[in-house]
Formats: sequence, structure tokens, C-alpha cells
Amino acid sequence: MENTQLGQIPTTAAGRGQAAIDEVDLTPVRTYWQLARQRFMQHRLAVVGLVIMATLVTAAIVIPVLTGNLFGKTSLSLANHPPSLLNPFAPLGYDSIGINIFLRLAKALQTSLFVGFSAVSIIVVVGITVGALAGYFGGAIDNLLMRFVDLVLSLPSFFIIVMMVALFGTGNAIVVIVAIGVVGWTTAARLVRGEFLSLREADFVQAARALGAGDGRIVVRHMLPAALAPVIVAATLGIADSVVVEATLSFLGFGIQPPEASLGNMLTNAQEFFYRNPMLIMYPGITLVLVVLAASFLGDGLRDALDPRQRVKG
Amino acid sequence: MASYVFRRIIQSIPLLFGIAIVCFFLVSLAPGSPIDRFRTARTSPETIRNLIHLYGLDQPLLPIEFGSWLAFGLTLVGAVVVAGVGIVIVGRSVSGRRRRAVGLGLIALVVLGAVGVVALNWAAWGGEVTWPGRFIAWITNFLQPWQVDGNGNLFAWGYSFADGQPVIEKIVERVPNTLILMGTSLALTVVIAIPIGILGAVRQYSLLDKLITVLATIGYAMPTFWLGLVLKFVFAIKLDLFPLFGMHAYGDTSITDLLYHMALPVLTLTIVSVAGWSRYMRSSMLEVLHQDYVRTAKAKGLPRSRVIYKHALRNALIPIVTLLGLTIPSLLIGAAVTEFVFAWPGLGGMGVTAVIERDYPLVLAFVMTGGAMVILGNLIADVLYAFVDPRIKY
Amino acid sequence: MSVDRSDQPLLQIKDLRTYFYTQDGTVKAVDGVSYQIGDGRTVGVVGESGCGKSITALSVMRLIEQPGRIVEGSILLRGRDLLKVDDAEMRDIRGNQISMIFQEPMTSLNPVYTCGDQISEAVSLHEAVGRRDAWQRAVDMLRLVGIPDPGRRAKQYPHELSGGMRQRVMIAMALSTNPELLIADEPTTALDVTIQAQILELMKSLRERNRMAIMLITHDLGVIAEMADDVVVMYAGQVVEQSDADTVFEKPHHPYTTGLLASIPRLGEKRQRLEVIQGVVPNPLNLPKGCLFKRRCPYAMPVCDTPPPLQEIARGHVSRCWLTPAGEPPAVGPEATGELAEAAAASLQVMA
Repeated sequence: MENTQLGQIPTTAAGRGQAAIDEVDLTPVRTYWQLARQRFMQHRLAVVGLVIMATLVTAAIVIPVLTGNLFGKTSLSLANHPPSLLNPFAPLGYDSIGINIFLRLAKALQTSLFVGFSAVSIIVVVGITVGALAGYFGGAIDNLLMRFVDLVLSLPSFFIIVMMVALFGTGNAIVVIVAIGVVGWTTAARLVRGEFLSLREADFVQAARALGAGDGRIVVRHMLPAALAPVIVAATLGIADSVVVEATLSFLGFGIQPPEASLGNMLTNAQEFFYRNPMLIMYPGITLVLVVLAASFLGDGLRDALDPRQRVKG
Repeated sequence: MASYVFRRIIQSIPLLFGIAIVCFFLVSLAPGSPIDRFRTARTSPETIRNLIHLYGLDQPLLPIEFGSWLAFGLTLVGAVVVAGVGIVIVGRSVSGRRRRAVGLGLIALVVLGAVGVVALNWAAWGGEVTWPGRFIAWITNFLQPWQVDGNGNLFAWGYSFADGQPVIEKIVERVPNTLILMGTSLALTVVIAIPIGILGAVRQYSLLDKLITVLATIGYAMPTFWLGLVLKFVFAIKLDLFPLFGMHAYGDTSITDLLYHMALPVLTLTIVSVAGWSRYMRSSMLEVLHQDYVRTAKAKGLPRSRVIYKHALRNALIPIVTLLGLTIPSLLIGAAVTEFVFAWPGLGGMGVTAVIERDYPLVLAFVMTGGAMVILGNLIADVLYAFVDPRIKY
Repeated sequence: MSVDRSDQPLLQIKDLRTYFYTQDGTVKAVDGVSYQIGDGRTVGVVGESGCGKSITALSVMRLIEQPGRIVEGSILLRGRDLLKVDDAEMRDIRGNQISMIFQEPMTSLNPVYTCGDQISEAVSLHEAVGRRDAWQRAVDMLRLVGIPDPGRRAKQYPHELSGGMRQRVMIAMALSTNPELLIADEPTTALDVTIQAQILELMKSLRERNRMAIMLITHDLGVIAEMADDVVVMYAGQVVEQSDADTVFEKPHHPYTTGLLASIPRLGEKRQRLEVIQGVVPNPLNLPKGCLFKRRCPYAMPVCDTPPPLQEIARGHVSRCWLTPAGEPPAVGPEATGELAEAAAASLQVMA
């Protein structure tokens, strides 16, 4: 093959062919993950979501660690003190019993995010397991598992969660996490099942089987990575849902109780002191909205980035 | 189609059965005897008797006749099942049809066996009637809600722990209130969200579209109850335009008063709904607009409006129609938290209050109704889908 | 506007340029394309994917949407410039005087309306007929395109018909208004070979019957050989050769055309390897200077750095190449004449 410099026309047909390919093929080969990351970065909103979420998570971890129990410290002399420049440690002021709102907000964010992420973990694990089993084995097992999914879906999920929390431990974060997880795994299961059902007949799976790979290996090494993409998206969006459910539970009085902090019970508190300090509604509420927005943007961005078959941008 | 509907109804029965078991199971774990709260000066002996009958508490304490044969039989089945599960795993070498038959049969046994094992455990619950017995007692009554006792009470679904009123009556009382709220909200949502979605899709990337998308995203991200609080604060307190709580001012049953009270809760629900539905409509419309048949329609020389409203929209509405079917269950139970925030005397709010107050008969009945509604809603959604999309044939 | 029909060709595309303004750059999908279609003639437009043949057709129908735009040129339908008429007039022409059928019969019909509805819609849009007459016409058209039991089929939905039948429905729909020009964009590419043959036969008989001109767009030379009176060969947004079908197949001039013809495998021929055209189509965002084919051309010469004009090789035969009509490299000495000499001189200066 001749060495061609750009601008020079090579003399042999083969050389010309190579030059033509060289001219066009300037883009290096990238892996799936690299391409996905590139697509993600192009999505401005997704990056914004990532930044917001990262900020919130960092704040939720760092601030309570630094301040320890200060979030619960009451001080009647500071009750209802508005924010002032003289006190940079209380940028949001104090509430009716003198608690530093900012510190409490950070702690509440920590609790809510903890519940949200943990619940999603359960959802993902249970969902993937059930979905993979149903999708891979198909037939009767699929049928049975899907009937079970139908059952769980038919229950009014919010009320089941409320009932479980009320019965098994009001105020117990673990119970809340388990309740949300147990009720919410159905979407993930369906997604994984769908992917597995179609992947089962895919050529690369047949090839692996022909090479003698056993079921377990096929499922874990070959099919799961392909099926992961929709699950990742569902999980991200599930975080938003879980956080809101936890907040609702705490708001109603089932979930996290005072003196523990949660975005939900801060709102209950705010409701009581509606007239005195109306801004109390806004701080936890806006934080909640930020969490949901960040998770939504992230989820949308991940969906566009991870799905190589994306159709229409819209 | 008729046979499909019939098949679905038959399939729903085990589902409802499953829901009943789950609810009953959860509620049974509550401590204390269910009827302790009723033993006050006010309750009549007949009411207590009905309750005892209702909860199967009049079964003998040592259930030789009723409970044990059930438990024993089910345990036997359970043992077969353990062996059966083993065969399923081994039986993958059994081919084709036989495998399916074996598999289905064994799965049926698994289900029964599981129920039996649980039942056996509860049979050891010292001093109380066995769980299967009480369940059967409860469900036989539950399925005959029209029974009336001597005092003219519809007792079949039990009495509320909170005020002793028959549960059926409490539920039926509240249904219209919730329907008013949710019905209005749903109607408004459909009327507002669909045009917005169409607009956004047709003028993709325009300023209007971007504005719509931003507003919809924010609206969708707001927790409903928080939005309710904010609206209450702004409109009821600061601006003093609307009342804070309830459905009617005391004694005032006029329509205007109802509308005043309805305004904020409906607004809350509608804003969040519109945010979700308009996004859905927009993406459905966008997907349709890029289809080949839309290009064909343009190539025929059709004016743009006809291409959009006759060809594209008809296809884009298909998923929306099924969404409509799926929101039917929420018509009754969807607004729970909003009703709570605005103290609207509706079904959802009652459900939440019932759980707070540990009012188990009410909770049970409520969840059962909710479950039935979900199943019904799914069925309606599927039937509507078949109506609207000629490609679907059952 | 009274125009003497006999000397105006039915359709005249003059120097059409359609560009797409994308995020990554401007794609010149159609860059200076000119050809014409006479009454009742079938013009086959052939070229690889991405050469601009479909975009030309869509430009004629004015169905180009953002981010594409028709930037320059004129499209004369019996002397009337389609790029200058207003929207209402264009809609009048679409589906009426010019009809178009597309590649994918599976998805080109609206799934929620019956076949009969979709055909009669086209009819009642362009002609003042009542609903029943329009429906009758639809059934007649279905019969015409060879669909058995047309009365029943008209009431069926597209998904109830096979791919070949759907394409027939598309043809019926396109022909229901008796257009003067039918644009067929890869009409048989998505169909089985046997069905392909049937559809082509159908098109032949219909054009006989209706005295209809056809712009047949395809990458399949076999289809061109079957159907076309004239052939336009396109490459990377430009016309590179044009003549009647016999000439193009027997005496091709442009190296691309020769390459295409040589690459057709022939039955009964004993060969070890298939002929290919080396290289790939140029990246539309990064087109080479000069002749767009030069990097793949076995005859490439220094003069190819200057874009070649459309040379007249013989009467009614043009080719966009510097090679002489005899196939020789162009002379640049005193024997050279005209345009070629100027261009050659210019390129010499450039090289110097």
C-alpha cells in the first residue's frame, strides 16, 4: 500500500482506495461507554442535572458531618430570627423553636436522599432478578412471575406503603425503605423482562450458547449489560419518585418523625407555623423540587446517551 | 372481543383473591382484637354479634372442624410442592408440551402450597381462630355487601373503628365528593394538556415549545402536596381569595360555595396532571409526525392542518386514550394527599385518615376497592386501545 | 399562461441546490443538478445512497423541511416555476399533477384509516366528486393495480395487506388523480424479487395507459434497464452523466458509470473476484476540491483538481469528466479547444 500524503493523488487503484478511506475515516473507534459519555455531555440539561445532584449529594453528606447534632439544637432566644448578614452560619434563619433552618435542611436532605437511594437499590436488585428470571426462562415461569407483578401493580401502592409503615414501624427509616422498595420494583422488572425476552433470540446469545456457555454465564456476562440501560434510566427516575414518596410519608406523620429531620416533616412543621413564617414552606419544597428536577434531567440524559437506537430528539 | 373481556374478567379473579390475601394478611398483624374498640356503652349486642361473625371470631377456639382439615390438606400439598419445585429444575430436560403441562401444574401447586404453609403457621397462633378460617369468614361477607342486619345497617364490610358507622356507607358517602374533584380535574387536564402537547410538537424548538417544556418539567417535579400548600398560602392566606379547608362552608350548600372550595384543590391537581400529560402528548405527537405516512399525506397535497389533525393526531391519541383508561382508578383514590391537605371529604383522604387512626375495617375495604378499580381500569384501558387502534385484535 | 406544450418539457430542473444546515456543518445534498423529463418519458435516476437523488425528488415536491432549504435554482413544470408558486398552488399540484410514491410500503400508509379511505381522500381533495364517487374511484384504482376483490380490500386496513399489496395501494393512491408525472422513490427496494417484477410490470402497463412520465429513483441498475428511457447518474449531489438508457448502458463515459456497470455480477461469467469501485462516498461535510470522484477514479489526473463541467460527449449525452469523448485524457496543447483549454490552463497555473 502506498503512502499517500494528503493532496497527492496516488497512482495505483489500491492506493487510491486507501486514500479515499483514509480521507473519510478520520474518526477513531470508540467503545460503547465512550460514545455514551460523549452523547451525555452534549446534553446540556443532563449535565446540569448531574451538577445539581452532585452538589446536593455533597451538601447532604458534608454539612451534617461537619455540624453533627447542631441541626437539632433548639434555642428559644433565636426563635424566628430572620437571616442576616451578621450570621453566615444561618443563611436561612431560624424556625419557631430556634433550630437553624439551613442545618436542618441539610440533615433532612441527607435523610431523604438516603431513603431514596436505598429504596432504589432494592427496586433495582429485586426488579432485575425477577425480570431476568422471567425473561430468560420464559414460558410458565414468566407467566407466574408476571401474574405476581400484576398483583403487586394492582395494589394501590401508596396505601400499601402507608399501611406497611404504619403497621411495622412508624418513624423507622428502614421500614420506609423496604416498603417503598417492595412496592416499586415492578417497573424495573418489566423493563428487564422485555429486554431479556428480545435478547434471548439475539444472535450473540445463540452464539454464546453454541460455544457451550451455561445459563448463568450467558445471563450475567452477555445479557445483563445489554439490558442495563433501561434499568439505569428507570433507577434514576425512581430516585425522584422515592424521595417524593418519603417526603409525603413524613409529611403525613408516618415516616421520619421529629426530632429526626426529613424534608417531609419539615413541611408538616411549616404548615403549623404557616402564618408566622411562611417561608418555611419554601425551603424544603424547593429542595425537593431540585432533587426531582436533577434526577429527571439525569434520567433523560442517560436515556439518550445509553440508547443507541434513539429515535427522535424530543 | 367479548370473549377477550370475559377471559380478562376470569383472570382478574385470582388477582383479586391475591389482593384480598395481602390486605388481610397485613391487617391481621395489627395487635389487639379487632373488636375491642367496639365494646363501649353505645354499641348494641347485635352489632357486637355481627362483628364477631364478620371476623370469624365465633369459630371455635380450637378449630378442629374448620381450620385443621384445611391446614392439614394444604400442608400435604406443600410437601408435594417441594418435590415438585425440584422436578421443575431437573425437568428442563423434559421436552416441549409435557414440560409446559408439568410446569403449569406444579406452579399451581406452588401457589396453593405457599398459601398452605402460611396458613399452617398462623394456625399455631395461640388462642385465636386460624387465619384461613377468619379470612374465609371475612371474604364471604365482603363479597355480599348488600346484607342488612336487624337495624338496617349494611354490615357486610364491617364498622368503622372511628365512629362505628358501617364502612360501606362511609365509602359510598364519600365517592361523589372525590368524583367531583377528580372528574373536574381530569376534564380540565384533558382539555388543556392535549392542545398544549400538540402545539409543542408542531412547533418543536420554537420559543413557545421551550417555554412549555420548561413549565411542564417544573410542574411535573413539584410534589403535589407541596404545591397544595403553596397555593393555599398564596391564594387563601395572602390574597384571601379562596377558603382554606373543606368542601362547604358550614351550612352553605350552594354551587358557588362549592366552586370556591373546589378551586384550589382542583388547581393543584390539574397543574401537576397537565404537566405530565402535555409532555406525554408532545412526545407521542412528535413520534407520529416523523412517521412515513405523514410524509405520504403531505405528498398527496393535503393542507397542513389536515395532515396534523386528521392523520397525525389520530395516531398520536392512541397512547393517550390508554392513559385515560389507566387513570380511572385514580379517579377514586388518586387525590389522597391533596384531599388531606385541603381537608376535602373525599375517598382518598378518608383512606389516609383511616390508616392514621388504625381504622382497619375501613382500610381493608378501601384497599380492596382500590385494587378492584385498578384491575377495572386496566381492562378498560386495554379495551379502549382495541377500539382506537385497528391493528389490535383480541 | 399559455405555453406551447409541444416544446416545453414536462419537468425541467435547472441548477437546483438544496442544502441542509446542520449542527456539524452544511451538507450540500443537491449541488447544481439539472435535468429534464419529457412527456411520457421514464427517467431513471441512479446513484449510491446519499447521492442526492431522493432529495432532488423531494425538492420537486417542495417537501424539504428544516434544517434543509432549497437555496437556488428553478423547477419548471410546463414552464411554471414550482419554487415560486405559493403554498396553496403547490398543494394543488402535489398529488394531482405530480404524485410521489415512497420506498417503505409497510410504513407509508396510515394504519388507522382504511385503504379505500386514503385513496378516496386523494381523489376528493383534488377533484370535485362526492364521497360515493370518490370511494368508487378508489375501488376502481385498486382493481386497476391488480388487487383481487378490490371492494373488500378497500375496506381493510393497511396492516391486513402484504408488502407487495401495500405498494400497489400506494400506486393506486398516486395514480388516482391521473398525474402527469409520477415520482417513484425506490419503489421496489423493500420488496421481494418476485414482487418487484410484478410491480415493475404494473408500472409499465400503467404508464402506457395514462401516458404518464416517471421519475424512477433507484440504486438498482437492473430496474433502470427494465424501465428507463433516459438515465441520469448522480454522485455526491451532482449529475455526472446523462443520456438515453441505451447509450448509458452501451457507451458509458463517466468512470463512475463504467465502474457501476462493471460491478454488476453477470450470470454465466467465470470470475474469481467481483469488480468494485475502490473507496467510499465522500463525507458530505468534507468534500474534496475539484472532481468529487477523483479519489476513487482510475483515470485521475492533475486537471481533476478543477471541477469538471458537464461536457457534451455526443448529442443528448453529457458527462461531468475531463476525459475527451473518446475517453482520453484532455489535451492541453494548441489542439485543445474552448472550455477545456481554459480550465486546463487554469489548473496548470494552480499547479504551478
